Amino acid sequence: MSLSRRYVLSTAFVLGIAPALAVAPAAHAAPAIGQPAPGFSAVDAEGRTRSLAEFKGRIVVLEWHNEGCPYVKKHYGSGAMQSLQKSATAGGVVWLTVISSAPHTQGYLAGEAAKGWKAKYGASSTALLLDPAGKVGHAYDARTTPHMYVVDKAGKLAYMGGIDDKPVADPASLKGAKNYVTAALADLKAGRPVATPVTKAYGCSVKYAS
Amino acid sequence: MRQILAALTTALALLAGAPAVAAEIDTGHLKAELVSQARGVAPGQTIHVALRQKIQKGWHTYWRNAGDSGEPTAIAWTLPPGWKASDFVWPAPQRQPTGPLMNYGYSGEVLLPMALTAPADARTGEAVALKATASFLVCEQVCVPEQAELTLNLTVTANPAPEDPAWGRKIAAVLTAAPRPVGLDAVFARQGEGLKLAITGAPLKGAEDADAYFFPFDGTAIDHAKPQAIERGPEGLTLTIAPGVAFHAPKPPEQLAGVLVADGRAFEIDAKAGAPPASASGLGAPRSTASSAGFGLGAAAVFAFLGGIVLNLMPCVFPVLAMKATSLARHADEHRAARAQGVAFLAGVLATFLALAGALIAIRAGGAAVGWGFQLQSPPIVAGLCLLMLGVALNLSGVFELGQSLQGAGQGFASRGGMFGAFFTGALAVVVAAPCTAPFMGPAMGWALIQSAPVALAVFAALGLGFAAPFTLAAFAPGLLSRLPKPGPWMETFRRLMAFPMYAAAAWLAWVLAAQSGQAGLARVLAAAVGLALAAWLFGRWQRAQGQDRRPVISTAIAGVVLALSLATALAPGYAAPAGAEGSAGRADAPYEPWSAARLAAARAEGRPVFVNFTAAWCVSCQVNERVALSTDKVAKALAATNAVYLKGDWTRKDAVIEAELAKHGRAGVPLYLVYGAHGGEGVILPQLLTADMVVRALGAAKDR
Repeated sequence: MSLSRRYVLSTAFVLGIAPALAVAPAAHAAPAIGQPAPGFSAVDAEGRTRSLAEFKGRIVVLEWHNEGCPYVKKHYGSGAMQSLQKSATAGGVVWLTVISSAPHTQGYLAGEAAKGWKAKYGASSTALLLDPAGKVGHAYDARTTPHMYVVDKAGKLAYMGGIDDKPVADPASLKGAKNYVTAALADLKAGRPVATPVTKAYGCSVKYAS
Repeated sequence: MRQILAALTTALALLAGAPAVAAEIDTGHLKAELVSQARGVAPGQTIHVALRQKIQKGWHTYWRNAGDSGEPTAIAWTLPPGWKASDFVWPAPQRQPTGPLMNYGYSGEVLLPMALTAPADARTGEAVALKATASFLVCEQVCVPEQAELTLNLTVTANPAPEDPAWGRKIAAVLTAAPRPVGLDAVFARQGEGLKLAITGAPLKGAEDADAYFFPFDGTAIDHAKPQAIERGPEGLTLTIAPGVAFHAPKPPEQLAGVLVADGRAFEIDAKAGAPPASASGLGAPRSTASSAGFGLGAAAVFAFLGGIVLNLMPCVFPVLAMKATSLARHADEHRAARAQGVAFLAGVLATFLALAGALIAIRAGGAAVGWGFQLQSPPIVAGLCLLMLGVALNLSGVFELGQSLQGAGQGFASRGGMFGAFFTGALAVVVAAPCTAPFMGPAMGWALIQSAPVALAVFAALGLGFAAPFTLAAFAPGLLSRLPKPGPWMETFRRLMAFPMYAAAAWLAWVLAAQSGQAGLARVLAAAVGLALAAWLFGRWQRAQGQDRRPVISTAIAGVVLALSLATALAPGYAAPAGAEGSAGRADAPYEPWSAARLAAARAEGRPVFVNFTAAWCVSCQVNERVALSTDKVAKALAATNAVYLKGDWTRKDAVIEAELAKHGRAGVPLYLVYGAHGGEGVILPQLLTADMVVRALGAAKDR
């Protein structure tokens, strides 16, 4: 049973998904700085449907998350991510934490576990979005956890990439790291163009359904 | 005295058998240790040591650029004063696709060598403990950061120490295979959405590069997950790569360094911004492993057999076989004789096919670039075949007789003459059929010609069996023979009628010759044709006169002379090339340009889709496709709408460059239709029988591809 299911799934992958991936670039363009951020809607931990359109006129931060990933742990274990969320949301920024892990993969959360996530980590995200099908993740071409995006008030993508310039899992690397999200938010607040709009995201791979 | 002591200690240490050993540490998902190339190190000497990882099955660690996710393996040494260790010498990585991502790393057992230098004042005989902290990110589906505190115990020896028996050779092998700069020239340029990376140099000359891939050192340089399209050139290759985030920055990189892996070898390259040289492209994608490797002897033989059957219906073959079939009908009651005829025909077909294939293989082995259909690339042969067709046609028209009239009444059907006739018919059928590369046959023969001679001959034999099958089966199946219409006066009418396809075939060959050699060649073959007709008539007159016991010696002599003259006119070499490049291609409404590798590369560089048509005047399926598909308004409109470039490669006369291009796509003959997408990638091969819709669809897809 499980073998045949696996067979069916892998066949489906070869027949359907692999060609779909191959044409993916043509089907929907990768997100680009200065272009409208891809719209989406997703259910949050409380079961409400949230969409990007809902936050029109506000700065939105998207954070790809997987609680089991060592790189995410580096930022949460030290409390660095939580304090970044806190100061951003206090300044009127919308912070959406997105989980694109498929069911049975690392970082997947649903039900009570998802509801309890914010309290467990002391997170200040506006919402925890559950994206087990990877729709939001693929729309943004999110590759790693964490992978960060900042959308400006006009709904255009202002930053995408890593959270900081220390692409290692060692918590000691937080000291002296340049946080790109903090910098991008500061630039937007000051009405400047974002100085470093694109960096390479680092971390664990997003555990998409495959 | 001190030196002797030192030497003794060293010797003792060596004898103890553990001069360069470190404990293996299990970090959870891998086992790590430090190993040394030599059993000791002399003061001031540099040896290589390595961080060895034995990674759990299914898990992997990362290269210096981890790709889309992950983290490179790192090592931090704690060395005594004066000791120095270099960075890792990274072996070429493996590609590790993870869902939509691409990572670069290692699995299984991997050695990361480093150069280790002992200080000049190191004390001989001293055992040194060299400590290091290695950190790994080990990933399967999930990633685990792991760390190992490692120690390498090395003895300082007076002289360079012997190789370590366990690790010396392994480390040396890794160092030898590791990518290094070998003086390759590399330049890159943005082109549309892509990044062209052109690499040239002696090590890449003539390489097949089927799996060439560029691993950048900088993780922001390219989009790791996107495929890299390969185009080969005479001096190297060009990769079309999706640029990474670095190229979206206000100041794009001026340098692109990394490792090129091609044909199983790895080179370090350092590309500068600049215009890619022409010598790095123009030979198309590497020979598609899918089109040829997926083809086995069995499949090739089946295709060849089917192709052989289809060949029977070709206009130049059908009359010959139809006449032979009527002769079977005439003798439907003589089963044994019919069988003998069938076997003789089969033998004639097989012998001729194998002779042609053998000649082709021999010529190719001699280094000449010829493909299937080569026999029609020579104007004298085309002229000779034209006369042969005309001769057969005149015979069918009753101008002269062969065989029957010379045989006395009552002579058996299975006479030696009849057997020879069947054998000759088989041979003739093959000779006239060869240009009509039927569907199914192209891939099979293209595959066959790049195999060993026995395999190639087996495929050609299958083709011959298929070709001879309908007639031979008819000869062996009395049931089928009795279904043929009863012999009667209709046969004479049928014979006269069948003359006309043969006249048509002769006319077609004259047209081919005109395409090959222009008006002068046409004049020659027409003159020879008139001479042949005259000779045939005189010969026929002599045959009829024989019946009346008269011997018109003079007219017979004249017939011989005229025949000799016309054959000499047709077969003498020295046919001129046609004036102008218009030739074979015939009517074509869509504007096209002659194919050349350079024109193809230029059109692709402009980001336009390209349709390539390899054709020849003597190729019937090519001409059919021209008429029913390529010269239609639909295709002309689609070419214009997609802004496609239409290139035509004319193989009517021998052309080594086109031959090479055909071979690259696993073909030994025409037609070959290729559609290249606007955004790079390999050309798509269209079927050998086209419809207008098929071409329109392919162009539409190529526009977005």
